[in-house]
Amino acid sequence: MRAGQMKAALVLGIAVSLAGLAVPTRAADTRPLVVARNMDLTSLDPARSFCDTCQIYLSAVYQTLVTLAADNRTLAPNLATSWEVSPDQTRFVFKLAPNAVFSDGAPVTSADVAWSLTRLKNMKSDASFLMEALTAVETPDDKTVVLRTAQPNSEFLNMLASSYAGIINRKVAEANGAVGGENASTADQADNWFFANSAGSGPYKLALYRNGDQLRLVSNDKFWGTAPKVAEIIIKQVPDAVAQLQMLQTGGADVAMQIDPDTAASIKDQNLVLDTVPSYNFIYLALGVGSKANTVPLTKPIREAIAAAIDYQGLIDFTVGGKGRPQPVAIPNGFPGTTDLPLPKQDLALAKAKLAEAGQPNGFTMKSAYPAVNSYGVDLSLMMQKLQQDLGRVGIKLELEPITFAVWRERVAKDGIPITASYYAPDYFGTVQYVQFFSMMSTSSWVKRSHADKVQGVVNEKEGELLKQALAATPTEAERIYREIALEMIGDKVIIPVVSPDLILASRKGVTGVRYSACCNLALSQVGRQ
Amino acid sequence: MSAALPEAATAVRPGRLRRLAALLDPRAGPARWPILIALVTILAWVVVGATIDLWAPYDPVALAGRRLQPPNASHWLGTDALGRDVLVRTLYGVRFSLPIAAGVLVTAVAIGCVLGALAGFFGGLLDGVLMRLADVTLSFPAMLLAMAIAASLGPGLFNAGLAMVIVWWPIYARLMRAQVLSVRSLEHVDAAVAMGASSPRILVRHVLPLCWTPILVNATVDISQIILLVAGLSFIGLGARPPTPEWGQMIAEGATNFYNWWIAAGPGLAILALSLAFSFIGDGLRDLLDPRSR
Repeated sequence: MRAGQMKAALVLGIAVSLAGLAVPTRAADTRPLVVARNMDLTSLDPARSFCDTCQIYLSAVYQTLVTLAADNRTLAPNLATSWEVSPDQTRFVFKLAPNAVFSDGAPVTSADVAWSLTRLKNMKSDASFLMEALTAVETPDDKTVVLRTAQPNSEFLNMLASSYAGIINRKVAEANGAVGGENASTADQADNWFFANSAGSGPYKLALYRNGDQLRLVSNDKFWGTAPKVAEIIIKQVPDAVAQLQMLQTGGADVAMQIDPDTAASIKDQNLVLDTVPSYNFIYLALGVGSKANTVPLTKPIREAIAAAIDYQGLIDFTVGGKGRPQPVAIPNGFPGTTDLPLPKQDLALAKAKLAEAGQPNGFTMKSAYPAVNSYGVDLSLMMQKLQQDLGRVGIKLELEPITFAVWRERVAKDGIPITASYYAPDYFGTVQYVQFFSMMSTSSWVKRSHADKVQGVVNEKEGELLKQALAATPTEAERIYREIALEMIGDKVIIPVVSPDLILASRKGVTGVRYSACCNLALSQVGRQ
Repeated sequence: MSAALPEAATAVRPGRLRRLAALLDPRAGPARWPILIALVTILAWVVVGATIDLWAPYDPVALAGRRLQPPNASHWLGTDALGRDVLVRTLYGVRFSLPIAAGVLVTAVAIGCVLGALAGFFGGLLDGVLMRLADVTLSFPAMLLAMAIAASLGPGLFNAGLAMVIVWWPIYARLMRAQVLSVRSLEHVDAAVAMGASSPRILVRHVLPLCWTPILVNATVDISQIILLVAGLSFIGLGARPPTPEWGQMIAEGATNFYNWWIAAGPGLAILALSLAFSFIGDGLRDLLDPRSR
């Protein structure tokens, strides 16, 4: 062992002296760091993937123009060392780091940036909405990129910090079937290649991916920034919280982020550090106002009755053992526009009055299909049973039907579900994604999913108008407008957030740098050992 | 005429009763205890299932106390993640497991026996078609096939039961066919044919009465398997829907609360007790009814 280390040191020493000072320092810790995780990966291609584990992987391997600082609010330089925004917020100029190189040593150029961002837009995948606003890209020189949007967009910079907007080595990717043009969604053949290779400029590169087993990253020896602390990271597929905790206890894993509060509470182990932090994730109820299976029309008084019948604090206690926060609107607490919003509270008298107002004093029956998953420590099945009890108190009877996530997606899209539940995690720090997804303006995702466009009086175009204003406003002004939108969304009573569960960052003693990031989930390059 | 009848059809009745009495006689020593305990257990479950509404201290689907309490004086098997009493839920569970197991069994036995008897008695094309159908069904592992069927029908106890009937009937069809085949060639059947009896009459009066023994034994042993399978389907979300206090469903809830072991322990022990009891009864019945195993 000692001889091996000396040999390695000697080889390293020779390599460093041969290559001279230009070679950055290598990762110091050669023992692999193991993250136990139930991986939800669908792709390792930045333009195709869309999941929590994707964020962790992408932010370790690909770099974005700007990134989110440790405060989870402000933007920090990444590939771009500086940027300028035109006063009307439609023109964004970035200066790329002169020494930035990809893992094959090729410099990162403005052409790579232009290609990667347009490819994300043209792929028409889940994350493509991030670049929807992008209308033109100019590359005046190798290290300058100009991005243009048709409408003012005060949140465009934040969107660029999303891990899906990572910059890819165009030459390498194109040689392996990637297409960036308008036909990307049909002509691009690189999905499989991305499962075995990476082409980024980040601190790590992909070493191996085996579906259902592990994702292995090794440090990028050509990385142009501060070298990561460990040379190799293995994300191991471990499906449930109990197994993750047991791996941590036995030393089989160093970090786990999917341990639920009940499981965490049952363990006292001096070798583990369990850090509970507030998260931007949340679980919400959604009312299918235009759902085919509705037995009574879900008019506003009915929706208000449902919202008033919910025991919010009880739900937090029952689902995450009190380790969570109530959330007034479907925008994470702490995001622009969420200060001092009225908290939801249970009011059974009001609920009954509203039901009587709607002509349903004795309540009614609602079909409730929901994905049978445990997300962010919340067992949706448990949550819906608690909800069933709550709504039962005012006479609303829920017929629960747990279904798989795939079936749920299909049903929500096709006929709608009278009352259902789901979860959401941010892709970047910003409120626009939530307005686009959860508001009742006619283009939002949940207008379609709740089938609100099929009934009268639910679609709320005022939210769309306000959003336009917010995108053209200064940050302070935008924050005020977002708050106005939030109040409108609360008034819609279609999406009812239930709990923002705290996140338990579990690690073995001595592991450092484990923190929660709103853009990237877990910043692997900062994780190390004492 | 009676000389032509096989031993099984004539001489058994009083003998059987005697053997039954002997089987249940506790004075016969420790070998008799399992079947006695099994009978008492099943009887107790039936009584519990029938009367629990009258005396249960808590509602099985409502909050009974602080959540996740370990077993204590007021909640003997603790409370689950929603603060419901695990013991009460476990006891209520028999209202689902036992009737479903019985229902599945009766239906599967009825379908299987009718088809098996027809196939065995008439033979030919009917036999070929029915038995190939049975072969195809039997070539899949029971759990896997039941999962596939239940998944395509949608979750729910009725659908899970239906899936199990589809999985189970071929076992009885094959058993019944084999019995009918062996009985059909006996001399008393030939005699009935010679006297001009019709086929249905021969089947019902002269063949079937000699075929039910192995069916009964098999059914008693199978009931424990069906209880397990119902729980299995519910465990993976294809059976009972929440908040039904069904045992498999409860164990699934306990699995996510691994360190609060009592949530899964109650229904687990209940499944163990009931299926073990039926297995013992099945063994006892076989000893009683199957001449070859004596």
